Amino acid sequence: MSAEEFAVADTCFLIDWAYWRRRNVLPGLFRAVFVPEEVLREVKSESTLEWVAENLATGSFALFTETQDVVGFARAVVERSRMLPIRGVDLPEAVCLAIGKMRGYIVLTENRGALMAADALAELSGVRVWRSLDLISQAFRRGILGGDPEAVFMEYEEDTGHMFPPGGVEGRNR
Amino acid sequence: MGGVLSRGIERWLRLEEEAREIRRKQADWKFIESQPPRLRIALRLYVEAGDLYVASRVAGLTVEEFNELRKRARIPNVC
Amino acid sequence: MSLEEKLEKWRRLEEEAREIRRKQADWKFIDSQPPRLRAALRLYVEMGDIRLASKVAGMGVEEFRELLRRARVPVVV
Repeated sequence: MSAEEFAVADTCFLIDWAYWRRRNVLPGLFRAVFVPEEVLREVKSESTLEWVAENLATGSFALFTETQDVVGFARAVVERSRMLPIRGVDLPEAVCLAIGKMRGYIVLTENRGALMAADALAELSGVRVWRSLDLISQAFRRGILGGDPEAVFMEYEEDTGHMFPPGGVEGRNR
Repeated sequence: MGGVLSRGIERWLRLEEEAREIRRKQADWKFIESQPPRLRIALRLYVEAGDLYVASRVAGLTVEEFNELRKRARIPNVC
Repeated sequence: MSLEEKLEKWRRLEEEAREIRRKQADWKFIDSQPPRLRAALRLYVEMGDIRLASKVAGMGVEEFRELLRRARVPVVV
């Protein structure tokens, strides 16, 4: 992954990441982070919306207007996810997965249904899905973050109410 | 070719900055700051970025509705 | 990894996450909530499905996420 790549962020990711005191490392990791219009509609809190708008103004974030083909693919993903004994994925997350598949963007999510779908569904093979855990790890690898990684992860948990699972990257084989 | 491209980009960046300055100076900030959060944030975004569509999405308004709001906020559409 | 192995892996991860949510939750806070929010929070603790729980709560996702913070129910991902 390089800073020349694009990412697409879903609601579950944005509404947690925005609470983190080091949230501004995100723009340095990607060429631009796309925010689907549906995701933007779901952002309601003033502070999160202000942060998103600031990044839209600088070009670090960009709006993604969902087209029919993207939504159509996403609906198929929703249906397929309900055919397996895994947690189903809902349309807003499926849209991000569809964008990840069709455009090759890295999908930023904290939604388990999305993670499961990306792992289990053949239709989504090759889609790269990153959680905050993966982003923070990447930021350290690229020297964007420094200091004690464990302390930084704890900071994230404290600021956002998120908890990284035991074993860290356990459960990911992509 | 690279030189022509970068000169072109530089020119556009300069024009963007000039337009931004005009929007910042002309805007009715009292009106903007008196708006509910979502509209206020969208208007500020428009002042900075000059992107009507994106600002309308942030505001949760149609482009036409947001354009009306832009006028009320006295933010010029600088082309 | 075969599909069956993946499904088993996810089932196990779901169970681990559920246990963490159950242990970490502020049950006093949860039980003091109005019925609708209480039901939604309990649902989230058990299922970990924020969209479903937020619909039960009659809230948007972001608003419900804030409620989870107040209830000290972690999002375990």
